[in-house]
Formats: sequence, structure tokens, C-alpha cells
Amino acid sequence: MKVKIKSNWTAVASWRWIANDENCGICRMPFDGCCPDCKLPGDDCPLVWGQCSHCFHIHCIVKWLNSQQVHQLCPMCRQEWKFKE
Amino acid sequence: MASQNQDPTAVNPACGDPGISAFPDGDNLFRWIGTIQGGQGTVYEGLKYKMVFEFPSGYPYQAPTVKFDSPCYHPNVDSHGNICLDILKEKWSALYDVRTVLLSVQSLLGEPNIDSPLNTHAAGLWQNQTLYKKHLLEKYEKDVRSKQST
Amino acid sequence: MQFVTCYVFYSFIFCYFFTGEEKSPLCEGCTIDIDDCTCQDIIDTFHSVNRQLDEMGILERLSGAAVTSIVHNQIQRYINTTCKGNFETSYIDHLEKWLDTKVLGWLNSIYAGEKNQCSISAFRGRLLHFLFETYAHARIEQLFAIVIDYPESEPAILDLKTCLEKTNLRALLMTSLRKELEDRLLHPGVNTTDILLAYISAIRSLRVLDPAGVILEIVSEPVRKYLRSREDTVRCIVLCLTEEGSNELLDELIKGQPLILEDDTCSDQEEGDWETWMPDPVDADPSSTSKSRRGSDIISMLVNIYGSKELFVNEYRTLLTDRILSQFNCDMERELRYLEMLKLRFGESQLHYCEVMLKDIADSKRINSRIVQEMDNAGQKMDIDINALILSAQFWPSFREEKITLPTEMQKSLEEYTKKFEALKGNRTLNWKPHLGMMKIEVEHKGTMLNFSVSPVHAAIIMKFQTQSRWDVEELSGVLQMSVSALRRKITYWQSQGLLKEEVPDTFVLVDEVKGQGHEVVMAEDESESAMTSAYQQREEELQVFWTYIVAMLTNLESLPLDRIHTMLRMFAVQGPSSSGEVSQQELKGFLDRQIKDQKLVYVSGVYRLPK
Repeated sequence: MKVKIKSNWTAVASWRWIANDENCGICRMPFDGCCPDCKLPGDDCPLVWGQCSHCFHIHCIVKWLNSQQVHQLCPMCRQEWKFKE
Repeated sequence: MASQNQDPTAVNPACGDPGISAFPDGDNLFRWIGTIQGGQGTVYEGLKYKMVFEFPSGYPYQAPTVKFDSPCYHPNVDSHGNICLDILKEKWSALYDVRTVLLSVQSLLGEPNIDSPLNTHAAGLWQNQTLYKKHLLEKYEKDVRSKQST
Repeated sequence: MQFVTCYVFYSFIFCYFFTGEEKSPLCEGCTIDIDDCTCQDIIDTFHSVNRQLDEMGILERLSGAAVTSIVHNQIQRYINTTCKGNFETSYIDHLEKWLDTKVLGWLNSIYAGEKNQCSISAFRGRLLHFLFETYAHARIEQLFAIVIDYPESEPAILDLKTCLEKTNLRALLMTSLRKELEDRLLHPGVNTTDILLAYISAIRSLRVLDPAGVILEIVSEPVRKYLRSREDTVRCIVLCLTEEGSNELLDELIKGQPLILEDDTCSDQEEGDWETWMPDPVDADPSSTSKSRRGSDIISMLVNIYGSKELFVNEYRTLLTDRILSQFNCDMERELRYLEMLKLRFGESQLHYCEVMLKDIADSKRINSRIVQEMDNAGQKMDIDINALILSAQFWPSFREEKITLPTEMQKSLEEYTKKFEALKGNRTLNWKPHLGMMKIEVEHKGTMLNFSVSPVHAAIIMKFQTQSRWDVEELSGVLQMSVSALRRKITYWQSQGLLKEEVPDTFVLVDEVKGQGHEVVMAEDESESAMTSAYQQREEELQVFWTYIVAMLTNLESLPLDRIHTMLRMFAVQGPSSSGEVSQQELKGFLDRQIKDQKLVYVSGVYRLPK
């Protein structure tokens, strides 16, 4: 017997962020979902990493940084926040 | 929006944090009632206090207002229940939630910051743990337990 | 004796009077050949007898009972022969006219004397009432059929409405229809769809009959209760709502009014003009608002069988998932159109998850073509062309996870695709779900060619028989790294296709000769089990989550009555998409009772608290 796979395989997958945590520490929502202000996950509500290697929904960390008057610190490790390129 | 507040399981005793618990006060998501028990091996062991959390609309980017609802005799708690705790002020982080605040307050009970007291009497007495405990229990009996029984 | 004689006498004349129009060789009056008919003589005698009796002043006394009885009989007979079975014509005017010309004509000819005229007009009133009553009875007897035939039967409904205003048969109508609905519909032999269609007909027709909605509410109560107990009700309604082709529910959906739910009891303020305000009928249930009775449309009524939008939306989501992932026949444009309509009905937020699901499918198409194009540009080609459906897991129902090691060539293609995806979408990767999806395979065995459309798991299994035609089930499950029970479930497909057989228990072999037909075989319906975790499993998990909430509530707020716990749960716990949305107070009470039995909860004087 021989089995041949014909082309056009409809394969199913789910996507996820490659992050060391499941939820955003700020809004507590899953990274693979979106922040409370967004409706659509993924491209519309991406993650960002700091140089300290901590990551958050971009909208969440930006809000946090804007609320900080003096220093812009990572809410996780209190090091100065710099976006990782 | 305080959407993250909506998961009180994070502070449920069943989830592995002994002696702390919290739940929204009725229909108001911005006001929570918390319960805290003194840590084991501290003078506060066996005592139970109620706390009130008021969340500002900017939470979690702004800290909640946290007060003791039951009178609490402690160097860093004043007679109105106000608490002197850095993470509720300048050291606030958007990552903190009800659970972490309750845990911090719980550990503050056993390890007060004697240098910046709100209650100087308690701060002075802290050095003598035996006397402190005696006074604490008297106060607790008078201010807290008597109210609980009603 | 006197009555009987009179009866026979008058009845004879009546017959003559009424059959005058018909042509037949025999006269129906005197049953003698038409040419020798003696009717005229008889009539003359009849009138003269009547006249003489009248002059003596005993006509009324002598004939009254017999005449009334004859007229009643004739009315009944006439209604039965004329109206029965035809619901598409209105008879009220016709019957009234018939009464005035025929019946009253006859009466006039009996009571020809001047002084009798005013008693005849009084008699007319009574007869008219009798006519309406008889007609209403006839319609009520057939009301079930009339309801089912709606809207064709609208004339009959309108007639009945007129009759109800003039008679006192409302209560009878309700009892009779309610019983009829129960007897005809509410037993296991009737399809849920048929019950639903009957319910829809009832909603529409009874609304016409009684705009206040009270009759509908009372009569259909057992139907609603019964539908609630059927497992597939929600599914049937959602299917009706979204099925292609014209159907009544879809028409309703397109009207696009917002839902009116029973919990939206917005104060006592009646909408509309106070001048046209009408009180509810006395038999209305005072516990439900007249607005919800009068105003809500059919879809609202159906949703109200359950009282929860969430249940509906969740069921829609499940069906949508099935269409996309199991049947692969998702017409995007159509689905988007329905989604827009459902959004008008159920609100944006409820359908947010479905929106993301449909967007996933659209995005997947884009990603696929990007990846194919990039590979073309680079002159590369994958071993197997992959058309990926990339899902945002948080927004789909939870899937059963099934582990399996796919054949190398399949695995390689997936990995290749993953790499391309990672390059395209920074910091993101893919988790493949081999038990989902569909691939076309061609099996060539001893000169026979067979085509199948199967899941990757099925393909992986049969491919193992290429190099080895006999497998012990344990051994095969080890090689494929899937559980024995899952493997057995999947193997049955190949058994049913006649490719594999269980020669001795736990050993599967490739058959020597396939009796296949060489045409494409799509997976059998019962094999393509639903990809989602069962509702029961989900429910159990939900109730466990509720319990942690309840403990937290009672630790901090001390003691609470059932309804407070219920509202708080609804506010705080019942929010996730995976939650079926609602817990009824009844279900919650049952759950709390179990906790009391387990001594995890105490119930004292109306409130629950945690044991000390």
C-alpha cells in the first residue's frame, strides 16, 4: 500500500507570543488576548520588550510610563525602562 | 478601568495565600473589602483585621487608597486606619494588585518601620515585645473583638 | 308531544325554505317529483295555520321552543358544513348575512303579524350571539390547526378575535389550546425544530388574536418550559437563524430590532401615548411587564425561553467553530453578514469573540498568500502545500488537546511554515493542532486507488501501515505517541472504510483486497466528533471557579442571602468567553446545597456563611 498526500492541506494552528509569561503584568490579561482598551489581538495590540527583558502589552507600558512623573522605570524590576530594539 | 480587579481568586485563601482575602464591596468594583490575619510567629498571630481598598479610575497606574477598617494598633498605622507603606505611595507599581498589597500589609504587621511611625506609642513600645503583645491584645479585645461580637 | 309535533312540522317547512335554491328531480320539500310538487299547498296551509294560531294568541307559546331549537340546529349545521376546514376565508359577514336573510326571513314568514316584529328583532340579537358562539366553538376546536397554518389562516384568527369580543369564550379558548399544544407537540416524538416552528406560529397568530399578549403567554407556557428541557433547543434556534435560504426567523432577524429581554424590566413607565393606553386584561400574569408581553418580537421571545443572550451567542460561536473547523464550508461573506445582523440584535460586545474568529480566518488567508509568495520569490517549495487556519486561541471555544507525532514529511512542512510565520510576525509562533484540519490523501493498494479527505491524525495512522501491515495497538500508540483510546477511536474510521481490520483483539492489519469504489470518501459524520471540550466538562470547571468566588465573598462580606450571591456572581464571575455565561439562581442553590452537605457552608436564617 502506498499513501500519497495530495496538495492543499488545511492545517489548524493557534498563534502565541514568545514571552516568558502568559499574562501582561499590568492589565492581567493574557498576552495572546488584548489589553482592556483593545478589541483585536496580535498586530493591533502587540507586545513590547524592555532592555531589562520584561514585556507588556505596548498600550499598558506606555500608559504606565506616562503616569510616571520623575523616572521611567520598569514596573517589574524598577530599572530604567528602555525599549528593546 | 479596574478590570484586573475583577479576579478576586488571585487573593483567595484557597489559592495558597494564607491569611489574606478580599472581595468587592457589593456592586461597587472600585471598593473592596479585605481581610488580613497576623503572620505566624509574629505578635499579631491569631488577630484578624478588616481593610478597605478604594481604587482610583487611573488604577493600576495609580495606587489605591488602602486603610484599616478595624482599629489597628501598629507603629505605621494611625488612629484613622491610615497606613504608612512605601508601595502605596512613591514605590507604587502598576504590577501591584489587591493580593500583593495585602501581602505587604501582612508583612508590615510583623516588621514595622520604626523610623517613620504614625503611632509613636506603638513605635516606642515595639522594642519590648512582651509588653507590646500585652498592650496589643488588650487594645484588640477592646476595639475589635467587642465589635465583631455584635 | 306538543313540542315534537311542532318540531317536525316547523322543521319540515324550514327544510323546504332552505333548500329552495337547489335543483334536483325530486322536490326536497315534499319529496315528490318537482312537476307534481305540493309544497306550495303545504306552505299555504302552514302560513294559514300560523296566522290562525297567531290570531288566537297562542302561536308564540305553541311554536317558540321548537322554532328556537330548529334555528339553533340549523345554525350549527350551517357553520359546520360551510366553515369547517377552511381557515383562509372570513365568514363573519357571510354568516351574519345568512342569518338576516335566511333565518330571519323564515322567522318573519312564521311570525308575519305586525305585533311580532319587535320580538323578532330581539330574537335576532340572541340568535346573533348564538351564531358567534357556535362559530367561535368551531374555530376553537380547530385552533391548533389554525395556529399552525398561520399566516394563511389569518382570516380565521381575525374572525375568532371578533367572536371573542362578543362572547365569553376566552377562558375556554386558552384551556383548550393549551391542552392541544401539550398533546400534539410536547412529547419525545416531535422534532425540536417542529416545536419551535409551532411556537413561532403561535407567537405570530396569537399576537393578532390578542395584542396584549396575555393569551400567548398563558397558552404557550408549557411549550416554553418543555423547550427549556430539550438539549438541542438553542442549537435549533441558532441554526434556524443562520441557515441559508428564506425562513421566518431569518426574516425576523433582518428586521434588526434590539432584543427585549425579560430582565430589562425598565420601571413601570409605559411607553407610548397615555391616551391610547389600555390596561392589561384581568387574566394577565401581574409578575411580568405588559411591555415584555406586548412589545417583544419573535427572536426576543425565543431568547426568552432561556432568558439569556449569552447562551445564544455561545451556541452561535460553537456552531461557527464547527462550520469553520469541522465542515470547512465557511462562506466568509455570508458569515460576516449574519454577524452584522446578530450584532444589531445581541449587541457588539456579545459578539466580539465571533468577530475575532472571522477576522482570524481572513488574516489566515492573507498570511498564507504572503508565505506562498515569499517562497515563490525565493524559488522554494514546501513538500506539502499548507493552507493554515491560524486562530487566536483566547477567542475560540477551548479545544480538546490531542497529542500525536506526525510523519516526518508532514512535521517538516509544518515546521517550515512555522519558520515563515515567525519571520513574518515577529516574536510570535504557532502551536499546531494535528487532530484538526483536513487533508486529501490518495491510497493505492493492490492496484486500487482510493481518495480520502481526513484529519492529519487519520492520515498519520494509515501511513504507518505502508511499511508494516500489521500493528499491535499498544505498539502503534507508542510510535505515534498518542493514547490508545484516541488511537482506537480514529482507527474505526479506517475499519469502516474497509482498509483495516482487527484480526485478533488489539492487532490491526491491512486488508488484502479493498472493495472500494475509488471515489473520494469524506469522513463520516459520526467520526468527525466535535473539536470542542464538552459542555459538561466546562460546566464543572465553571462551578469550581464560582466556589472560589463564593468563598472570597463570604470571607470578606461575612454572610449573604442567595440572591445577593447570585447577583455578585453574575457581576464578577460570569464574564469570560469560555463561561456559558449564566448560572441560574436555581442551579446556584443546588450547588450551594451540595456545599452545605459537604460541610463547607452553613445556612442560617436565610443567609449563607462559611463555617467557623
